[in-house]
Amino acid sequence: MRIRTETGAGHHSISLAGRFDAHEIDGFRLAFEPLLTQPGTIVRVDLANVVFVDSSALAELLRSQRAARESDGDLVLVNMSDPVRIILELTALEQVFTIEPGRNQPAGVSADISGKPAETR
Amino acid sequence: MTNTSTYQAYRRWVTEPLAGEPRISVVVPAFNEEWRILPTVGAIATHMCSRGEPWELIVADDGSTDTTVELLTDLRFPNMRVLIADRNRGKGSAVRRGVLAARGDYVLFADADQSTPVEQFDKLLDKLTSGYDVAVGSRAASGAAVSGRSLLRRTLSRGLRVVVSVGFGVQVTDTQCGFKLFTADAARTLFELQIVDNFSFDLEVLYLSSKVGLKVAEVPVEWIDAPGSTVDAAKVSLQFLTDLFKIRISDLRGHYTVGGHHSVARAAGRRHAIVPGEITNAPPVAVNK
Repeated sequence: MRIRTETGAGHHSISLAGRFDAHEIDGFRLAFEPLLTQPGTIVRVDLANVVFVDSSALAELLRSQRAARESDGDLVLVNMSDPVRIILELTALEQVFTIEPGRNQPAGVSADISGKPAETR
Repeated sequence: MTNTSTYQAYRRWVTEPLAGEPRISVVVPAFNEEWRILPTVGAIATHMCSRGEPWELIVADDGSTDTTVELLTDLRFPNMRVLIADRNRGKGSAVRRGVLAARGDYVLFADADQSTPVEQFDKLLDKLTSGYDVAVGSRAASGAAVSGRSLLRRTLSRGLRVVVSVGFGVQVTDTQCGFKLFTADAARTLFELQIVDNFSFDLEVLYLSSKVGLKVAEVPVEWIDAPGSTVDAAKVSLQFLTDLFKIRISDLRGHYTVGGHHSVARAAGRRHAIVPGEITNAPPVAVNK
């Protein structure tokens, strides 16, 4: 899975591409946790290019959401791909997450932390 | 939120029964898959609905003792059937029940862990529409993309491959990948003959394919090791070798004879003579929700 982070004035976002499964949890956590530096931090997770999420990945998103909310912030899912949307519906988790429809991400400092080619997963 | 054409097709699939017969049947064997089954159903449904063809999903439970069956039946999808087994008999048994219950022109058997992403289906179907009877997803064929497979499993697989090739004449290099597509006639022919209940049924099915003269294509696929697997590779390999012997003995005893003459066309003629009670060793309950 390819993971790309963007940080700018008042916003943080993580864009994921590929298959988000148990193998990718450490990478996601590595990208997500450093963003929670201040109370009230909102992190948007862009899932437009995610082709599959397994239960481990869903659990990780829930864990991350809880961590953000504990400091009055939130994890917001944006641009959900069809498989992600459908899997969230099937697992009844679409009620649990804050979900935004597609939005243009503001320009900011970006970094690709995965180092893996996108097509490998 | 924008509803894409795929999402709209999915909503129709989960709310409206098919007007006619499905073109594609997807069979997923499941034993205690409560942790994985819903994302797998979601992935399969997304891809199959995106294709725009009528399709059905059959989950062949194998005597699960967790909430797998409840999770599925609670969905109440009109085009998904859950075949409930009274007890655990093995993957071969579950796949057999699922395949013999399938109504599609093409029957895909796919593992519940999505190790082979369902998007690979399209490549296998291309083979069948170009004249093959069976298309086998392969991790060993040139062009396959495999990740997460341990050195022990790779080594054991290579060894077994030699045994299978030399001892059985099966030329498929990866018999065990849980992603295989059959024409309806081939599926019925093979799974009416197939008797192995455990995971070695894959080999048996390919052995039978060779025996009855079916055209088999091996298709390189993407494969990702599913974390959490509790399979003991060494133990499984020993069981596999034992099953090789059993399959050979079964053949010598004439258990794989189709009316004295092996012919897909002949077997296909019996296709609609099958009654529900014949499709399984156990008395499963078909749940249409």
